[in-house]
Amino acid sequence: MTTTPANAAAPAIEARGLTKTYGKKTVVDHLTFQVHTGRVTGFLGPNGAGKSTTMRLLLGLERPDSGTALIHGKPYASLSAPLSHVGALLEAKAFHKGRSARNHLVALAQSQALPLTRVDEVLDVVGLHDVAKQRAGAYSLGMAQRLGIAAALLGDPRIVLLDEPVNGLDPEGVFWIRNLMKKLAAQGRAVLVSSHLMNEMAVTADHLLVIGKGRLLADCTTAEFIERHTDPAVYAATPAVARPALLEEAFMRLTASAVEYAAR
Amino acid sequence: MTTATIVRPEHSAVRPTHRPGFSDLTRSEWTKIKTLRSTWWSLAAMIVLSVGFSVIACIITTHDYPTLDAATRAEFHQDTIGLILQPGEGFASLAVCVLGVLLITSEYSTGMIRATTLAAPKRTSALLAKAAALAGLVFVVSELVAIPAFFIGSAITGKYASTSITDPIDLRSILAFGVYMTGISLIALSIGALVRHTAAGISIMLALQFVLAGVLTLIPGSFGQHLSNALPLGADVIVSSGHNAQNIYTPLQGLLILLAWVVVLGGAALATVKRRDV
Repeated sequence: MTTTPANAAAPAIEARGLTKTYGKKTVVDHLTFQVHTGRVTGFLGPNGAGKSTTMRLLLGLERPDSGTALIHGKPYASLSAPLSHVGALLEAKAFHKGRSARNHLVALAQSQALPLTRVDEVLDVVGLHDVAKQRAGAYSLGMAQRLGIAAALLGDPRIVLLDEPVNGLDPEGVFWIRNLMKKLAAQGRAVLVSSHLMNEMAVTADHLLVIGKGRLLADCTTAEFIERHTDPAVYAATPAVARPALLEEAFMRLTASAVEYAAR
Repeated sequence: MTTATIVRPEHSAVRPTHRPGFSDLTRSEWTKIKTLRSTWWSLAAMIVLSVGFSVIACIITTHDYPTLDAATRAEFHQDTIGLILQPGEGFASLAVCVLGVLLITSEYSTGMIRATTLAAPKRTSALLAKAAALAGLVFVVSELVAIPAFFIGSAITGKYASTSITDPIDLRSILAFGVYMTGISLIALSIGALVRHTAAGISIMLALQFVLAGVLTLIPGSFGQHLSNALPLGADVIVSSGHNAQNIYTPLQGLLILLAWVVVLGGAALATVKRRDV
Protein backbone atom coordinates (compact mmCIF):
# COMPACT_ATOMS: atom_id res chain seq x y z
CA MET A 1 0.00 0.00 0.00
CA THR A 2 1.35 3.36 -0.95
CA THR A 3 0.46 5.02 2.31
CA THR A 4 2.51 2.75 4.51
CA PRO A 5 5.61 4.53 5.74
CA ALA A 6 8.65 4.13 3.53
CA ASN A 7 10.64 3.21 6.57
CA ALA A 8 8.57 2.05 9.52
CA ALA A 9 11.65 2.11 11.76
CA ALA A 10 12.36 5.77 11.00
CA PRO A 11 11.24 8.34 13.58
CA ALA A 12 7.85 9.92 12.91
CA ILE A 13 9.50 13.30 12.42
CA GLU A 14 13.17 14.01 12.09
CA ALA A 15 15.00 17.29 11.61
CA ARG A 16 18.68 17.15 10.75
CA GLY A 17 20.63 20.39 10.86
CA LEU A 18 17.57 22.31 9.73
CA THR A 19 18.47 25.93 8.95
CA LYS A 20 16.43 28.77 7.51
CA THR A 21 17.45 32.38 7.10
CA TYR A 22 15.47 35.39 5.98
CA GLY A 23 18.04 37.81 4.66
CA LYS A 24 20.67 38.08 7.38
CA LYS A 25 18.40 36.80 10.13
CA THR A 26 18.74 33.11 10.99
CA VAL A 27 15.29 32.03 12.11
CA VAL A 28 15.99 28.32 12.42
CA ASP A 29 19.57 27.49 13.30
CA HIS A 30 20.87 23.94 12.79
CA LEU A 31 17.94 22.24 14.49
CA THR A 32 18.32 18.52 14.99
CA PHE A 33 15.62 16.57 16.78
CA GLN A 34 13.25 13.63 16.50
CA VAL A 35 9.59 13.33 17.38
CA HIS A 36 8.31 9.89 18.31
CA THR A 37 4.94 8.20 18.30
CA GLY A 38 2.80 7.52 21.34
CA ARG A 39 3.41 10.80 23.12
CA VAL A 40 2.62 14.49 23.03
CA THR A 41 5.75 16.47 22.29
CA GLY A 42 5.50 20.10 23.34
CA PHE A 43 7.36 22.52 21.11
CA LEU A 44 8.20 25.52 23.26
CA GLY A 45 9.92 28.79 22.72
CA PRO A 46 9.42 32.51 23.16
CA ASN A 47 7.63 34.44 20.41
CA GLY A 48 9.85 34.63 17.35
CA ALA A 49 11.91 31.61 18.41
CA GLY A 50 11.20 29.87 15.11
CA LYS A 51 8.49 27.39 16.13
CA SER A 52 6.11 28.14 13.28
CA THR A 53 8.91 28.33 10.73
CA THR A 54 10.19 24.93 11.89
CA MET A 55 6.71 23.44 11.48
CA ARG A 56 6.44 24.98 8.02
CA LEU A 57 9.84 23.49 7.12
CA LEU A 58 8.73 20.05 8.33
CA LEU A 59 5.68 20.33 6.07
CA GLY A 60 7.53 21.50 3.00
CA LEU A 61 5.76 24.86 2.90
CA GLU A 62 9.19 26.46 3.09
CA ARG A 63 12.49 25.14 1.90
CA PRO A 64 15.43 25.01 4.32
CA ASP A 65 18.69 26.72 3.40
CA SER A 66 20.41 23.60 4.66
CA GLY A 67 19.52 20.44 6.50
CA THR A 68 16.63 18.07 5.99
CA ALA A 69 13.17 17.52 7.41
CA LEU A 70 11.84 13.99 7.20
CA ILE A 71 8.48 12.37 7.82
CA HIS A 72 8.85 8.62 8.38
CA GLY A 73 12.24 8.99 6.73
CA LYS A 74 10.98 10.83 3.65
CA PRO A 75 10.62 14.51 2.77
CA TYR A 76 7.00 15.67 3.12
CA ALA A 77 6.81 16.66 -0.54
CA SER A 78 7.59 13.11 -1.65
CA LEU A 79 4.67 11.57 0.26
CA SER A 80 1.80 10.23 -1.77
CA ALA A 81 -1.51 11.03 -0.01
CA PRO A 82 0.38 13.22 2.51
CA LEU A 83 -2.71 13.88 4.64
CA SER A 84 -2.76 10.17 5.50
CA HIS A 85 0.70 10.58 7.04
CA VAL A 86 0.56 14.01 8.62
CA GLY A 87 -2.32 16.19 9.74
CA ALA A 88 -1.49 19.80 10.51
CA LEU A 89 -3.22 22.78 12.03
CA LEU A 90 -1.07 25.79 11.23
CA GLU A 91 -3.44 28.72 11.39
CA ALA A 92 -7.02 29.02 12.51
CA LYS A 93 -8.52 30.04 9.20
CA ALA A 94 -6.80 28.19 6.37
CA PHE A 95 -9.98 27.86 4.37
CA HIS A 96 -12.03 29.89 1.89
CA LYS A 97 -14.59 31.94 3.77
CA GLY A 98 -17.27 31.43 1.14
CA ARG A 99 -17.21 27.64 1.24
CA SER A 100 -19.01 25.46 3.77
CA ALA A 101 -16.99 23.38 6.22
CA ARG A 102 -18.30 20.22 4.66
CA ASN A 103 -17.34 21.22 1.12
CA HIS A 104 -13.91 22.31 2.33
CA LEU A 105 -13.33 18.86 3.79
CA VAL A 106 -14.83 17.11 0.74
CA ALA A 107 -12.34 18.89 -1.52
CA LEU A 108 -9.45 17.85 0.72
CA ALA A 109 -10.70 14.26 0.95
CA GLN A 110 -11.01 14.02 -2.84
CA SER A 111 -7.44 15.21 -3.31
CA GLN A 112 -6.26 12.28 -1.15
CA ALA A 113 -8.63 9.68 -2.65
CA LEU A 114 -10.21 9.28 0.78
CA PRO A 115 -13.77 7.94 1.09
CA LEU A 116 -16.23 10.81 1.63
CA THR A 117 -17.76 8.99 4.60
CA ARG A 118 -14.60 10.10 6.41
CA VAL A 119 -15.75 13.73 6.10
CA ASP A 120 -18.80 13.06 8.26
CA GLU A 121 -16.69 11.11 10.72
CA VAL A 122 -14.28 13.98 11.38
CA LEU A 123 -17.16 16.48 11.50
CA ASP A 124 -18.59 14.34 14.31
CA VAL A 125 -15.22 14.11 16.06
CA VAL A 126 -14.85 17.90 16.23
CA GLY A 127 -18.54 18.55 16.88
CA LEU A 128 -19.26 20.63 13.77
CA HIS A 129 -21.80 18.29 12.26
CA ASP A 130 -24.81 20.54 12.77
CA VAL A 131 -23.14 23.62 11.28
CA ALA A 132 -21.19 21.87 8.52
CA LYS A 133 -23.30 23.37 5.74
CA GLN A 134 -22.80 26.96 6.87
CA ARG A 135 -20.27 29.25 5.24
CA ALA A 136 -17.03 28.68 7.15
CA GLY A 137 -16.35 32.42 7.03
CA ALA A 138 -19.17 32.92 9.55
CA TYR A 139 -17.48 30.66 12.11
CA SER A 140 -16.16 31.89 15.43
CA LEU A 141 -12.47 31.41 16.11
CA GLY A 142 -13.24 28.31 18.17
CA MET A 143 -15.30 26.78 15.38
CA ALA A 144 -12.63 27.66 12.82
CA GLN A 145 -10.05 25.95 15.02
CA ARG A 146 -12.26 22.85 15.14
CA LEU A 147 -12.55 22.86 11.36
CA GLY A 148 -8.76 23.07 11.15
CA ILE A 149 -8.51 20.04 13.45
CA ALA A 150 -11.08 18.17 11.38
CA ALA A 151 -8.92 18.80 8.31
CA ALA A 152 -5.85 17.62 10.22
CA LEU A 153 -7.55 14.36 11.27
CA LEU A 154 -9.15 13.73 7.87
CA GLY A 155 -6.56 11.24 6.63
CA ASP A 156 -6.32 9.46 10.00
CA PRO A 157 -2.65 10.46 10.10
CA ARG A 158 -0.01 8.83 12.29
CA ILE A 159 1.51 12.26 12.89
CA VAL A 160 -0.34 15.38 14.03
CA LEU A 161 1.20 18.87 14.07
CA LEU A 162 -0.64 21.63 15.87
CA ASP A 163 0.64 25.20 15.92
CA GLU A 164 -0.75 27.11 18.90
CA PRO A 165 -4.02 25.14 18.87
CA VAL A 166 -5.52 26.69 22.01
CA ASN A 167 -5.06 30.31 20.96
CA GLY A 168 -8.33 32.16 21.24
CA LEU A 169 -10.27 29.20 22.57
CA ASP A 170 -12.68 29.33 25.49
CA PRO A 171 -11.98 27.06 28.49
CA GLU A 172 -14.21 24.33 27.13
CA GLY A 173 -12.33 24.41 23.81
CA VAL A 174 -8.96 24.33 25.59
CA PHE A 175 -10.10 21.33 27.62
CA TRP A 176 -11.31 19.59 24.48
CA ILE A 177 -8.03 20.09 22.57
CA ARG A 178 -5.98 19.00 25.58
CA ASN A 179 -7.89 15.72 25.83
CA LEU A 180 -7.86 15.23 22.09
CA MET A 181 -4.06 15.51 21.99
CA LYS A 182 -3.68 13.01 24.82
CA LYS A 183 -6.08 10.64 23.11
CA LEU A 184 -4.26 10.92 19.78
CA ALA A 185 -0.97 10.11 21.49
CA ALA A 186 -2.54 7.20 23.38
CA GLN A 187 -3.71 5.85 20.03
CA GLY A 188 -0.07 5.57 19.06
CA ARG A 189 0.29 8.74 17.05
CA ALA A 190 3.06 11.29 17.20
CA VAL A 191 1.70 14.65 18.35
CA LEU A 192 3.85 17.77 18.03
CA VAL A 193 2.21 20.84 19.51
CA SER A 194 3.70 24.29 19.73
CA SER A 195 2.68 26.73 22.38
CA HIS A 196 3.94 29.54 24.49
CA LEU A 197 1.43 28.75 27.24
CA MET A 198 3.47 26.96 29.90
CA ASN A 199 0.62 25.78 32.07
CA GLU A 200 -1.02 24.25 29.04
CA MET A 201 2.13 22.38 28.08
CA ALA A 202 2.80 21.31 31.67
CA VAL A 203 -0.45 19.35 31.77
CA THR A 204 -0.35 18.05 28.18
CA ALA A 205 3.18 17.36 26.99
CA ASP A 206 5.05 14.18 27.84
CA HIS A 207 8.17 15.38 26.10
CA LEU A 208 9.52 18.85 25.37
CA LEU A 209 11.51 20.45 22.60
CA VAL A 210 12.53 23.92 23.64
CA ILE A 211 14.00 26.40 21.19
CA GLY A 212 15.22 29.95 21.48
CA LYS A 213 16.42 32.14 18.62
CA GLY A 214 16.12 29.17 16.32
CA ARG A 215 18.42 26.94 18.37
CA LEU A 216 17.55 23.80 20.29
CA LEU A 217 17.85 24.49 24.02
CA ALA A 218 16.35 21.31 25.46
CA ASP A 219 15.05 17.93 24.27
CA CYS A 220 13.88 15.79 27.19
CA THR A 221 10.80 14.65 29.10
CA THR A 222 8.72 17.34 30.75
CA ALA A 223 9.60 16.02 34.21
CA GLU A 224 13.31 16.04 33.49
CA PHE A 225 13.09 19.54 32.07
CA ILE A 226 11.48 20.86 35.23
CA GLU A 227 13.97 19.09 37.44
CA ARG A 228 16.98 20.36 35.51
CA HIS A 229 15.99 23.95 35.12
CA THR A 230 14.32 24.98 38.35
CA ASP A 231 16.09 26.18 41.45
CA PRO A 232 17.07 22.93 43.27
CA ALA A 233 15.81 24.26 46.59
CA VAL A 234 12.44 25.21 45.11
CA TYR A 235 12.23 21.86 43.32
CA ALA A 236 12.95 19.93 46.48
CA ALA A 237 10.39 21.91 48.44
CA THR A 238 7.63 21.37 45.89
CA PRO A 239 5.43 18.28 46.24
CA ALA A 240 5.59 16.00 43.20
CA VAL A 241 1.98 16.68 42.15
CA ALA A 242 2.63 20.41 42.05
CA ARG A 243 5.85 20.21 40.06
CA PRO A 244 4.23 20.74 36.63
CA ALA A 245 3.49 24.27 37.88
CA LEU A 246 7.25 24.87 37.95
CA LEU A 247 7.50 24.52 34.18
CA GLU A 248 7.01 28.23 33.64
CA GLU A 249 9.87 29.10 35.98
CA ALA A 250 12.14 26.49 34.39
CA PHE A 251 11.32 27.80 30.95
CA MET A 252 12.01 31.40 31.95
CA ARG A 253 15.37 30.51 33.44
CA LEU A 254 16.42 28.57 30.37
CA THR A 255 15.26 31.03 27.74
CA ALA A 256 16.16 34.26 29.55
CA SER A 257 19.04 34.86 27.17
CA ALA A 258 17.19 33.64 24.11
CA VAL A 259 14.18 35.92 24.13
CA GLU A 260 13.75 37.68 20.82
CA TYR A 261 11.54 40.54 21.94
CA ALA A 262 12.10 41.50 25.57
CA ALA A 263 10.99 44.52 27.57
CA ARG A 264 13.96 46.33 29.05
CA MET B 1 4.48 6.73 27.58
CA THR B 2 5.64 3.31 26.48
CA THR B 3 4.61 1.31 23.48
CA ALA B 4 2.67 -1.04 25.76
CA THR B 5 -0.03 1.60 26.21
CA ILE B 6 -0.66 2.01 22.49
CA VAL B 7 -4.22 1.31 21.46
CA ARG B 8 -5.37 1.00 17.89
CA PRO B 9 -6.61 4.21 16.31
CA GLU B 10 -10.39 4.32 16.13
CA HIS B 11 -10.49 4.68 12.36
CA SER B 12 -7.55 2.57 11.34
CA ALA B 13 -9.46 1.50 8.23
CA VAL B 14 -9.36 5.02 6.79
CA ARG B 15 -7.01 4.76 3.89
CA PRO B 16 -7.02 6.21 0.41
CA THR B 17 -9.05 3.96 -1.87
CA HIS B 18 -6.22 4.12 -4.40
CA ARG B 19 -2.97 5.99 -4.93
CA PRO B 20 -4.20 9.56 -5.44
CA GLY B 21 -3.31 11.02 -8.81
CA PHE B 22 -4.01 13.97 -11.04
CA SER B 23 -7.66 13.01 -11.58
CA ASP B 24 -8.24 13.10 -7.80
CA LEU B 25 -6.65 16.54 -7.59
CA THR B 26 -8.77 17.75 -10.49
CA ARG B 27 -11.90 16.41 -8.80
CA SER B 28 -10.88 18.27 -5.65
CA GLU B 29 -10.30 21.50 -7.57
CA TRP B 30 -13.63 21.08 -9.34
CA THR B 31 -15.34 20.75 -5.94
CA LYS B 32 -13.62 23.95 -4.87
CA ILE B 33 -14.83 25.89 -7.92
CA LYS B 34 -18.39 24.65 -7.85
CA THR B 35 -18.90 25.19 -4.11
CA LEU B 36 -18.39 28.96 -4.32
CA ARG B 37 -21.51 30.95 -5.02
CA SER B 38 -19.48 33.67 -6.75
CA THR B 39 -18.62 31.20 -9.52
CA TRP B 40 -22.24 30.67 -10.42
CA TRP B 41 -23.51 34.21 -10.27
CA SER B 42 -20.57 35.52 -12.29
CA LEU B 43 -21.09 32.83 -14.94
CA ALA B 44 -24.85 33.39 -15.02
CA ALA B 45 -24.22 37.11 -15.52
CA MET B 46 -21.73 36.24 -18.25
CA ILE B 47 -24.26 34.13 -20.16
CA VAL B 48 -27.08 36.70 -19.95
CA LEU B 49 -24.96 39.76 -20.79
CA SER B 50 -22.93 38.13 -23.55
CA VAL B 51 -25.87 36.57 -25.35
CA GLY B 52 -27.77 39.83 -24.84
CA PHE B 53 -25.01 41.93 -26.41
CA SER B 54 -24.63 39.61 -29.38
CA VAL B 55 -28.37 39.73 -30.01
CA ILE B 56 -28.54 43.53 -29.69
CA ALA B 57 -25.58 43.93 -32.08
CA CYS B 58 -27.26 41.61 -34.61
CA ILE B 59 -30.55 43.51 -34.35
CA ILE B 60 -28.90 46.90 -34.87
CA THR B 61 -26.67 45.87 -37.80
CA THR B 62 -29.47 43.97 -39.52
CA HIS B 63 -31.82 46.90 -39.04
CA ASP B 64 -29.22 49.29 -40.49
CA TYR B 65 -28.35 46.97 -43.39
CA PRO B 66 -30.27 48.93 -46.09
CA THR B 67 -28.32 52.08 -45.20
CA LEU B 68 -24.84 50.46 -44.95
CA ASP B 69 -22.11 51.29 -47.45
CA ALA B 70 -20.77 48.64 -49.79
CA ALA B 71 -17.67 47.83 -47.73
CA THR B 72 -19.62 47.29 -44.52
CA ARG B 73 -22.14 45.18 -46.39
CA ALA B 74 -19.36 43.04 -47.77
CA GLU B 75 -18.09 42.50 -44.23
CA PHE B 76 -21.61 41.61 -43.12
CA HIS B 77 -21.67 38.86 -45.73
CA GLN B 78 -18.08 37.65 -45.41
CA ASP B 79 -17.99 37.50 -41.63
CA THR B 80 -21.55 37.07 -40.42
CA ILE B 81 -20.36 34.60 -37.79
CA GLY B 82 -17.92 37.17 -36.35
CA LEU B 83 -20.69 39.74 -36.35
CA ILE B 84 -22.88 37.38 -34.35
CA LEU B 85 -20.35 36.05 -31.83
CA GLN B 86 -17.77 38.78 -31.26
CA PRO B 87 -20.03 41.39 -29.60
CA GLY B 88 -20.53 38.96 -26.69
CA GLU B 89 -16.80 38.58 -26.09
CA GLY B 90 -16.37 41.69 -23.98
CA PHE B 91 -18.63 40.70 -21.12
CA ALA B 92 -17.72 37.03 -21.38
CA SER B 93 -14.01 37.70 -21.16
CA LEU B 94 -14.55 40.18 -18.31
CA ALA B 95 -16.27 37.46 -16.26
CA VAL B 96 -13.65 34.90 -17.23
CA CYS B 97 -10.75 37.24 -16.30
CA VAL B 98 -12.19 37.83 -12.84
CA LEU B 99 -13.02 34.15 -12.33
CA GLY B 100 -9.55 33.00 -13.38
CA VAL B 101 -7.66 35.49 -11.20
CA LEU B 102 -9.91 34.97 -8.15
CA LEU B 103 -9.66 31.20 -8.32
CA ILE B 104 -6.04 31.36 -7.20
CA THR B 105 -5.71 34.75 -5.44
CA SER B 106 -8.61 33.94 -3.11
CA GLU B 107 -6.57 30.97 -1.87
CA TYR B 108 -3.69 33.27 -1.01
CA SER B 109 -5.90 35.88 0.64
CA THR B 110 -7.76 33.34 2.80
CA GLY B 111 -4.87 31.03 3.72
CA MET B 112 -6.52 28.18 1.81
CA ILE B 113 -3.34 27.91 -0.27
CA ARG B 114 -1.59 26.26 2.69
CA ALA B 115 -4.31 23.61 2.97
CA THR B 116 -4.01 23.08 -0.78
CA THR B 117 -0.22 22.82 -0.65
CA LEU B 118 -0.29 20.40 2.29
CA ALA B 119 -2.68 18.19 0.35
CA ALA B 120 -0.62 18.42 -2.85
CA PRO B 121 2.94 19.25 -1.82
CA LYS B 122 4.27 18.94 -5.36
CA ARG B 123 2.68 22.35 -5.92
CA THR B 124 2.66 22.40 -9.70
CA SER B 125 0.18 19.53 -9.84
CA ALA B 126 -2.35 21.51 -7.79
CA LEU B 127 -2.05 24.49 -10.14
CA LEU B 128 -2.38 22.23 -13.19
CA ALA B 129 -5.44 20.56 -11.64
CA LYS B 130 -6.93 23.97 -10.97
CA ALA B 131 -6.26 24.90 -14.60
CA ALA B 132 -7.94 21.72 -15.83
CA ALA B 133 -11.06 22.26 -13.73
CA LEU B 134 -11.25 25.93 -14.74
CA ALA B 135 -10.70 25.17 -18.43
CA GLY B 136 -13.45 22.56 -18.47
CA LEU B 137 -15.93 24.86 -16.75
CA VAL B 138 -15.11 27.91 -18.87
CA PHE B 139 -15.29 25.97 -22.13
CA VAL B 140 -18.73 24.56 -21.35
CA VAL B 141 -20.16 27.85 -20.11
CA SER B 142 -18.70 29.73 -23.10
CA GLU B 143 -20.45 27.31 -25.42
CA LEU B 144 -23.63 28.06 -23.50
CA VAL B 145 -23.04 31.64 -24.65
CA ALA B 146 -21.93 30.86 -28.20
CA ILE B 147 -24.62 28.34 -29.14
CA PRO B 148 -27.70 30.40 -28.18
CA ALA B 149 -26.04 33.56 -29.51
CA PHE B 150 -25.44 31.77 -32.81
CA PHE B 151 -29.00 30.51 -33.26
CA ILE B 152 -30.67 33.76 -32.23
CA GLY B 153 -28.13 35.83 -34.20
CA SER B 154 -28.55 33.59 -37.27
CA ALA B 155 -32.30 34.06 -37.18
CA ILE B 156 -31.91 37.83 -37.00
CA THR B 157 -29.16 38.24 -39.60
CA GLY B 158 -30.82 35.61 -41.81
CA LYS B 159 -32.71 38.38 -43.54
CA TYR B 160 -29.55 39.32 -45.49
CA ALA B 161 -26.97 36.61 -44.88
CA SER B 162 -26.90 32.91 -44.25
CA THR B 163 -25.14 31.03 -41.51
CA SER B 164 -25.40 27.38 -40.63
CA ILE B 165 -24.23 25.14 -37.81
CA THR B 166 -23.20 22.63 -40.48
CA ASP B 167 -20.97 25.19 -42.19
CA PRO B 168 -17.37 24.29 -41.21
CA ILE B 169 -16.34 27.90 -40.64
CA ASP B 170 -19.41 28.74 -38.58
CA LEU B 171 -19.06 25.58 -36.50
CA ARG B 172 -15.34 26.20 -36.03
CA SER B 173 -16.07 29.75 -34.84
CA ILE B 174 -18.66 28.52 -32.33
CA LEU B 175 -16.14 26.08 -30.87
CA ALA B 176 -13.40 28.70 -31.08
CA PHE B 177 -15.47 30.99 -28.83
CA GLY B 178 -15.06 28.39 -26.06
CA VAL B 179 -11.39 27.88 -26.88
CA TYR B 180 -10.77 31.63 -26.79
CA MET B 181 -12.49 32.08 -23.40
CA THR B 182 -10.66 29.05 -22.03
CA GLY B 183 -7.35 30.55 -23.12
CA ILE B 184 -8.22 33.90 -21.48
CA SER B 185 -9.19 32.10 -18.26
CA LEU B 186 -5.85 30.26 -18.16
CA ILE B 187 -3.96 33.52 -18.76
CA ALA B 188 -5.95 35.06 -15.87
CA LEU B 189 -5.17 32.07 -13.61
CA SER B 190 -1.47 32.39 -14.45
CA ILE B 191 -1.42 36.13 -13.71
CA GLY B 192 -3.23 35.44 -10.43
CA ALA B 193 -0.69 32.78 -9.48
CA LEU B 194 2.18 35.13 -10.31
CA VAL B 195 0.95 38.17 -8.35
CA ARG B 196 -1.00 36.31 -5.59
CA HIS B 197 -3.09 39.39 -5.00
CA THR B 198 -6.70 39.83 -6.14
CA ALA B 199 -6.78 43.55 -6.90
CA ALA B 200 -3.39 43.50 -8.62
CA GLY B 201 -4.25 40.38 -10.62
CA ILE B 202 -7.57 41.69 -11.85
CA SER B 203 -6.07 45.10 -12.69
CA ILE B 204 -3.28 43.55 -14.75
CA MET B 205 -5.72 41.25 -16.51
CA LEU B 206 -8.16 44.04 -17.36
CA ALA B 207 -5.30 46.27 -18.55
CA LEU B 208 -4.04 43.46 -20.77
CA GLN B 209 -7.45 42.64 -22.12
CA PHE B 210 -9.22 45.99 -22.38
CA VAL B 211 -6.69 48.86 -22.24
CA LEU B 212 -3.38 47.83 -23.78
CA ALA B 213 -4.67 47.16 -27.30
CA GLY B 214 -5.90 50.73 -27.62
CA VAL B 215 -2.62 52.12 -26.33
CA LEU B 216 -0.51 49.99 -28.69
CA THR B 217 -2.44 51.11 -31.77
CA LEU B 218 -1.21 54.64 -31.02
CA ILE B 219 2.23 53.51 -32.16
CA PRO B 220 2.49 54.84 -35.71
CA GLY B 221 2.60 52.54 -38.71
CA SER B 222 1.64 48.89 -39.00
CA PHE B 223 3.99 47.94 -36.15
CA GLY B 224 1.52 49.15 -33.54
CA GLN B 225 -1.30 47.33 -35.31
CA HIS B 226 0.63 44.08 -35.38
CA LEU B 227 1.63 44.45 -31.76
CA SER B 228 -1.88 45.22 -30.61
CA ASN B 229 -3.24 42.26 -32.55
CA ALA B 230 -0.67 39.99 -30.94
CA LEU B 231 -2.32 40.55 -27.57
CA PRO B 232 -4.70 37.86 -26.27
CA LEU B 233 -7.50 40.21 -27.31
CA GLY B 234 -6.35 40.02 -30.94
CA ALA B 235 -6.52 36.25 -30.81
CA ASP B 236 -10.30 36.58 -31.02
CA VAL B 237 -9.80 36.42 -34.77
CA ILE B 238 -10.36 32.70 -34.20
CA VAL B 239 -13.99 33.59 -33.47
CA SER B 240 -14.61 34.76 -37.05
CA SER B 241 -14.47 33.65 -40.63
CA GLY B 242 -11.11 35.37 -40.92
CA HIS B 243 -12.44 37.24 -43.94
CA ASN B 244 -12.71 40.59 -42.27
CA ALA B 245 -10.79 43.59 -43.57
CA GLN B 246 -9.75 44.59 -40.04
CA ASN B 247 -8.00 41.32 -39.33
CA ILE B 248 -4.23 41.34 -39.55
CA TYR B 249 -3.71 37.72 -38.57
CA THR B 250 -5.49 34.61 -39.79
CA PRO B 251 -7.55 32.46 -37.41
CA LEU B 252 -4.70 29.91 -37.29
CA GLN B 253 -2.24 32.64 -36.35
CA GLY B 254 -4.75 33.85 -33.76
CA LEU B 255 -4.84 30.37 -32.23
CA LEU B 256 -1.03 30.32 -32.07
CA ILE B 257 -0.99 33.76 -30.41
CA LEU B 258 -3.45 32.54 -27.77
CA LEU B 259 -1.45 29.36 -27.20
CA ALA B 260 1.79 31.32 -26.91
CA TRP B 261 0.31 33.53 -24.19
CA VAL B 262 -1.05 30.54 -22.29
CA VAL B 263 2.21 28.60 -22.52
CA VAL B 264 4.50 31.52 -21.61
CA LEU B 265 2.43 32.86 -18.70
CA GLY B 266 1.38 29.39 -17.55
CA GLY B 267 4.99 28.23 -17.62
CA ALA B 268 6.08 31.28 -15.64
CA ALA B 269 3.31 30.65 -13.10
CA LEU B 270 4.26 26.97 -12.68
CA ALA B 271 7.95 27.79 -12.28
CA THR B 272 7.19 30.49 -9.70
CA VAL B 273 4.73 28.39 -7.71
CA LYS B 274 7.25 25.55 -7.58
CA ARG B 275 10.00 27.80 -6.25
CA ARG B 276 8.12 30.03 -3.84
CA ASP B 277 7.30 29.40 -0.18
CA VAL B 278 3.63 29.50 0.74
